[in-house]
Order: sequence, then C-alpha cells, then structure tokens
Amino acid sequence: MTVSAIEFSRLGPPKLRLYGMRCSSCGGISPWWEKFHCYKCGNDKLTEVYLDGRGTLTNYTVVYYPPRDFLGQEPYVVGHITMDEDVLMPAPVVDTALEDVQVGTRVKATLRRMKLGHEGDIYYSQKFVVDPEAAA
Amino acid sequence: MRVGVLGIGKTPHKIQHSKSLRDLIVEAGRGAIADAGVSPSDIQMLYVGNVGSVGFNYENSTGLMAAHHLGVVPAGAVRVEAACGTGAWALHLGVVAIASGLYDTVMVVGAEKMNDLATVEATSIIAQAADSKEEYFSGLTFPSGVALTARKYMQIYGLTEEDLAHTSVKNHHYGARNPYAHLRFECTVEEVMRSAKVADPLKLFEVCPMTDASSALVLCREEILRDQPDKPQIYITASQMATGTWYAATDTLEDAYRLFNEPATRAYAMAGVTADDIDVAEIYNSFAIQEPLGIEGLGFAEPGEGWKGAADGSTWIDGKVAVNLSGGLLCKGHPLGATGATQAVDIIEQLRGTAPEGIQAQDPEIGITACRGGPGAVGAIHIYQRIEGE
Repeated sequence: MTVSAIEFSRLGPPKLRLYGMRCSSCGGISPWWEKFHCYKCGNDKLTEVYLDGRGTLTNYTVVYYPPRDFLGQEPYVVGHITMDEDVLMPAPVVDTALEDVQVGTRVKATLRRMKLGHEGDIYYSQKFVVDPEAAA
Repeated sequence: MRVGVLGIGKTPHKIQHSKSLRDLIVEAGRGAIADAGVSPSDIQMLYVGNVGSVGFNYENSTGLMAAHHLGVVPAGAVRVEAACGTGAWALHLGVVAIASGLYDTVMVVGAEKMNDLATVEATSIIAQAADSKEEYFSGLTFPSGVALTARKYMQIYGLTEEDLAHTSVKNHHYGARNPYAHLRFECTVEEVMRSAKVADPLKLFEVCPMTDASSALVLCREEILRDQPDKPQIYITASQMATGTWYAATDTLEDAYRLFNEPATRAYAMAGVTADDIDVAEIYNSFAIQEPLGIEGLGFAEPGEGWKGAADGSTWIDGKVAVNLSGGLLCKGHPLGATGATQAVDIIEQLRGTAPEGIQAQDPEIGITACRGGPGAVGAIHIYQRIEGE
C-alpha cells in the first residue's frame, strides 16, 4: 500500500492524469497498469490514451477499516467506474452521502488529495464525484 | 499418484501473544514428526509456507530458521509464498518432491504470526498480496476487494444479503464445536445481518479474524506408509495448482469459477474420482462469499446456486457433501501461510475419523481442499483418500 516519494515519481503520471492503454490490435482499452500486454487479446503493442473522465458507477463498496495511509477518511466509497471509453477504473467516490451512492450513477473524475505517506507527504490522484451535468 | 500422509500436527488457531512465529512452527512441526513416528533427521526436505514474516514479524528466511529450530539440518529447506494460497503451495511442493522420486520423507509447514502488529498495519501488509502499487492505491483493502465480488454475485443472481448470511451461520455452527478454532460461537442469520459493517456488503461475521497458528504434515512414499498398516492409510491422490486474475477490477464471476474449476477438473482426473464422490471438503472462505463461489467451482453446485447448500442443509454434516466442518476460515481464522496446510490437516483428521466430536462426518473416505489467494490469483486443489486393504 505504501509508496515512497521516489516511487511515486514513477507511479505519478497515471494517477494524476486519467489514462488507459489502447491495444493496437483489438482496439480495446485496458486499465493503466496493463503496460505489458492487452488484457483482452494479449497483444503487446499498447499506447497510452487519455480518458475523458466521465463514466458510470457499476459496482462499489464502503470501506470501514482502511489501510494506514487512508486512516481518517473512513468510511469511504471505492467504486468500479466503467468509463465511457469502455474501460473499468477503481477509484474512490467522494462528496456524496453513503446512502446516495448507487449503481448506475453517472460520475466524473476530479483530481484530489488521495492519502498521506509516512512522512506527511501528500499523494494526489483521481477520485470521482457525481457528474453535475448528468444529475441536472 | 499416491503420496502417503505419515503425520499431521497443528497449533490452536487464535491470538497467541505469548508465542512467536518460531514457537508456532516448532509446536506444529514436532506434533507432525511425533505423529509420523519419525525423527527430525529422517526429514529430507522442508517446505515452509509463510506469507509475511518480513512485515508481520521483521524477520526473513523463515524456511532456514524453521530448519534450525525443527532440527532437520542438513536437509534442504525453503520458504514458499503465494499469497493466501501459500500453505497449499507448500503442500504441493511436498507432494511433488515425493512423487518425483527424489525424496522418501519430507515435511510441509504452514505458519503465520499476524497479531504482533495493530490491525491497521496488518491490513496494509495483507493488501500487498494484491497490486498495492496500482489498483489498491485507490484505497481498496482485501475485504473491500472481495466485497465488490459479493455485490456482483448478488446483482447477477438476484440475491439478498440474508441469502448469503446462511454461509456464516453454518460455519459458526461447526466452528463452535472445533476446539482449535479462533471464533467459537454460534450465530443466526439475524445476528450476521446485525454484525458491524466491514466493507459493504460484507459484515463482521462474514469476515475471518487475523490469527496466529501453524500446521504441519510429514509426507512419504506410498510404500513407506503401506508397510505400516497400523497407521491410518491416508494418501494424497491429486495436487493441482492454477493462477487467475491479479486485479479485482477485471475479475469476473466467470474468472472466480475458473480459478477452482480448472485445477479441480485436472485434480478429479488425476485421482480418478468425480465431484459426486467427495464426502468432505474444506473450501477457502476468508470471506463468506468465497464459499459459494468455491462450491460452484468444485462442481458441487451450478453457478449462482452455491449459496443454497448452507440454507437447505446439503453442505452441512449430513448433506450431500459436508463443507467446512472445521468452521472454515470464518471461525478458524486465516493465518495466511498456515491456512492451506490447516485445511489439509483438517480433512486428514476427517478421513482418519479423529475430528472433534460434533464435527466428525460419518465415515468419509474421500476429501478435497480448495485454497485460493490474491484477488483471484491462486487456485490450489488437493484430493485425499483413505485406501485400505490393498
């Protein structure tokens, strides 16, 4: 769970900008961590593709016992968001009452403080909020 | 293939502040050596399943430490790790070592000492058994990753949380009767529903505790056990391993099914039995939802129907196949590296007829263990048979 500041300099980009990995063969998009081969067809030629940041909440859980770096945020929602580009992203869903979180809700990405490291260092990453345009 | 089970041993499964990792390993290991009727110098190879001593206990090289304290030096020794499938993997390597013909007698130990740390620290260490660098950066934990699977299962099959609660009721019925179990109380569906939320929709009685324990086996060539007809004639007749998905995000219910079904199909063929022949099963259930998924993967029920046996009695002690008469991980706890070995020891006790009163099935002859690990990354199947009078 823990990452060092040096490590975050490697991990940072996909956490600060939302992107997936597009397969040059089947055209499918895999989550950002699939750097080495396409999850869907196994082809190993992938390119980064930025995502628009909008999607639908397709599954979620509420975490009551967090890992150390997330202490103080509990209870918090972690959702599976199916992005409009048809790739699934795991991410916290924030600024919504727990009882209002529902499968099918339209959400959009927003850059937020994600967690604190051991030395008080702050890590930012993508969280999701209810899409105000879809809700209106 | 037949690999003889010469001896078994295990420690109580509970929080044991007075005992260290090595204390647990030696207690279980000596128990197995005594049960086998051998001496430590007879052990030719030692496999120690341990997931996280580097994190939980600030010590490493667990296999070498265990070799010294068990007194098996100069036998070879190694630590084995494959997330929650670790104990089963140590057993697999022990089986392979005998089946290969290289060794006559080997020892398998699974052990974990989890309660030296606060829950929040231990939770963080456990999360390293998934992709803690990428996927779990999102704040996921192991319970919450599995909670996503539980919600998916409920959504797809139109089930309620009450439907799934029966699994915990069954496990606790038997766990209360197992003196080696960590949690020994019975509960009702209503009590499961009222227990504290851990990771919605999973509740406290659907989640295993963190436990300190060790289990051990001494394995031998078939002939060695055959030549000692006074010993229980229990043989491992299949050992099959698999990998599956490393990410909760891309883990589907079909993936969860395949994780056990694929190696189980191979194991049934290897042992020459079918799912219908199995009398007793120990199925990994660190979270209650994993039991119905396992029941389906092993072919005891159709996909979407694995939860029913706990409700209608068909997976209870007198049912078609008795599942988790030990109380499962929900009651025994889940000492990570020990679990796969404990499952084996519990099934072997069943086949020997030496399980504790109230949880001994009626004269079982064939048993199976199914251990899994990671988000959906490890599947491990072993089949055990009592084979007498040949």
